[in-house]
Amino acid sequence: MRPLSLGARLSLLFAACSAAVSLLAGALFNQASEAHFAELDYQQLQGELTVLRNLLDGVADVADLPDRLPAVQEELAQHPELALRIAGGNGRNWFDSLPSRHEPAAYRSLEVPLDPRHADGARLTLHLNIAHHRHFLDGMQRLIWLGVGLSALATALLGAWGVRRSLRPLRQMGEVAAGISASSLTTRLEAERQPAELAELAQAFNAMLARLEDAFARLSAFSGDIAHELRTPLSNLLTQTQVILARPRALETYRETLHSNLEELQRLAQMVADMLLLAKADHGLLLPSREPLELGAELDALLDYFAPLAEEAGVRLERRGEARLAADRSMLRRALSNLLDNALRFTPAGGTIRLEVASTAGGLRLEVGNSGPAIPAGQLPRLFDRFYRADPARREGGAEHAGLGLALTRSIVRTHGGEIRCESREGWTRFILEFPA
Amino acid sequence: MKLLIVEDEPKTGHSLQQGLGEAGFAVELAADGTTGERLALEGDHDLLILDVMLPGRDGWQILHSLRQAGRDTPVLFLTARDAVEDRVRGLELGADDYLVKPFAFAELLARVRTLLRRGQTTATETLLQAADLELDLLRRRVRRGGRRIDLTPQEFALLELLLRRQGEVLPKSLIAAEVWDMHFDSGTNVVEVAIRRLRTKIDDDFAPPLIHTVRGLGYVLDVRAAP
Repeated sequence: MRPLSLGARLSLLFAACSAAVSLLAGALFNQASEAHFAELDYQQLQGELTVLRNLLDGVADVADLPDRLPAVQEELAQHPELALRIAGGNGRNWFDSLPSRHEPAAYRSLEVPLDPRHADGARLTLHLNIAHHRHFLDGMQRLIWLGVGLSALATALLGAWGVRRSLRPLRQMGEVAAGISASSLTTRLEAERQPAELAELAQAFNAMLARLEDAFARLSAFSGDIAHELRTPLSNLLTQTQVILARPRALETYRETLHSNLEELQRLAQMVADMLLLAKADHGLLLPSREPLELGAELDALLDYFAPLAEEAGVRLERRGEARLAADRSMLRRALSNLLDNALRFTPAGGTIRLEVASTAGGLRLEVGNSGPAIPAGQLPRLFDRFYRADPARREGGAEHAGLGLALTRSIVRTHGGEIRCESREGWTRFILEFPA
Repeated sequence: MKLLIVEDEPKTGHSLQQGLGEAGFAVELAADGTTGERLALEGDHDLLILDVMLPGRDGWQILHSLRQAGRDTPVLFLTARDAVEDRVRGLELGADDYLVKPFAFAELLARVRTLLRRGQTTATETLLQAADLELDLLRRRVRRGGRRIDLTPQEFALLELLLRRQGEVLPKSLIAAEVWDMHFDSGTNVVEVAIRRLRTKIDDDFAPPLIHTVRGLGYVLDVRAAP
């Protein structure tokens, strides 16, 4: 079942609270009023009793009564709310002014001996009609109930209004979110104008939008880049093939053209394979089959592989440190070989490339460093973007380097739960790979 | 050597048939799974090249029937998808190797030859030869024309591979995998450089040249008549 709305819940809670509070206050007030009236009545009864005792002073028998009765009745006539009963010590009724038909609840009574010195003699019972007090109290109770109801209703409405008003920013967020599409990712909420409780949510929402915008921009750029990267070799192939076929040529020319086409096609195939691998990594389909690796030996194997190339380029290869890492051997080799290949292309003759591996508190740190001109700081964050080349002029050249190598390396590192970053200063550039333990 | 190719894409099928035919194999081609399965079960092929996605019976089903019938003919799969589950499934069903499209023909040829050689027990040779070049596996020495040539361990391994597969064009990727255990197309010209350096030592001062570049395909060690 769908839970009650926040507005309804809070309104009900407010109403219940105010009802309980006003009910409690009413009950206390009612109690106090009743006690107060009882006190007043008791005082009045006491006063009257003194007067009547005086009037009846010395009456010991029913025979003495008629003499005093006129004064008593006069006194009673002055106080119509009072009724008197006089009874002998044996309980026989001597006198009773209480109407025979009356409501017992409407009277407060006080029964005392006529003569305080003879507790077992004749007794006086004085009845005070308190109907008007009862009426007052009844009226007050009605008012209290009315107050309870009204205050509950008022707070419920107020609560509903307040909640609605307080949640307006949330509704606005909802509207903004509902209106967002790929083309309006620049929309942002005004986080500083939100109440404190929602500011955090608004900031998180904005941050999410920013990430989406960034990812989307990269994706758009990537699609554009793919088209561009494919268009260039395809256009080469088309033009070349059509021109060659336009007229008969020497056998050697056909052979040359086919060779040239073959190179172009191999480049395309490699690019497609790399992009597929990247797409797999993006979808979490790149599953490393991990095995414990001795990195020292692994790195040496890589350096062996690159040794001929480094020797030709006049670059020294070094390796320092030992560590163990559970990783997919083939993927790791691929990731590192991209870095080494990259380093070799940017290290001037006489320079050094150094692989350094060390265990750290958090896991493992692997560095691929090379001497050579520093990469401008502005380019560092973009290095790992697909098709990014630090030097745009190399775009069309650099045969097999489509600018996917570092992106692939990063995907592989991330697949292993690690991170990669690049630092470059004072003639030394290093790629730092960090893997958790 | 008799091969059966089951491939529904006509251009690919004919190119493979032509290429493998010219490489010296007798090649049969089936364009759909049902025909392919029948031919595979009736014939006595030395190797099957199966496309995974086929009309009729798919590659997996053909392999399954084949193994059910008790045939252990080596099978090489061609797949357009490099999905992990495909690979796992193929290995479970007993595929011997697989190639992801697009692949280089030289790579396919090299894999086919590797698979065909697998069954043969070659006597453990200790001396590999080509013309006047000798490679002594026990003493790890190389001589040409009676002169000793010093090679690095990698150069030795590279020469050993070329000699063992004399006359076969070996693509760069296969050389990287066999010699350096690098199982990916790194796009670097490491192999190129390594071959060039080896050639300097083996061929520069001698005739005829033994290591040849087959442009766009790879490298081959071959004794050819001097031009």
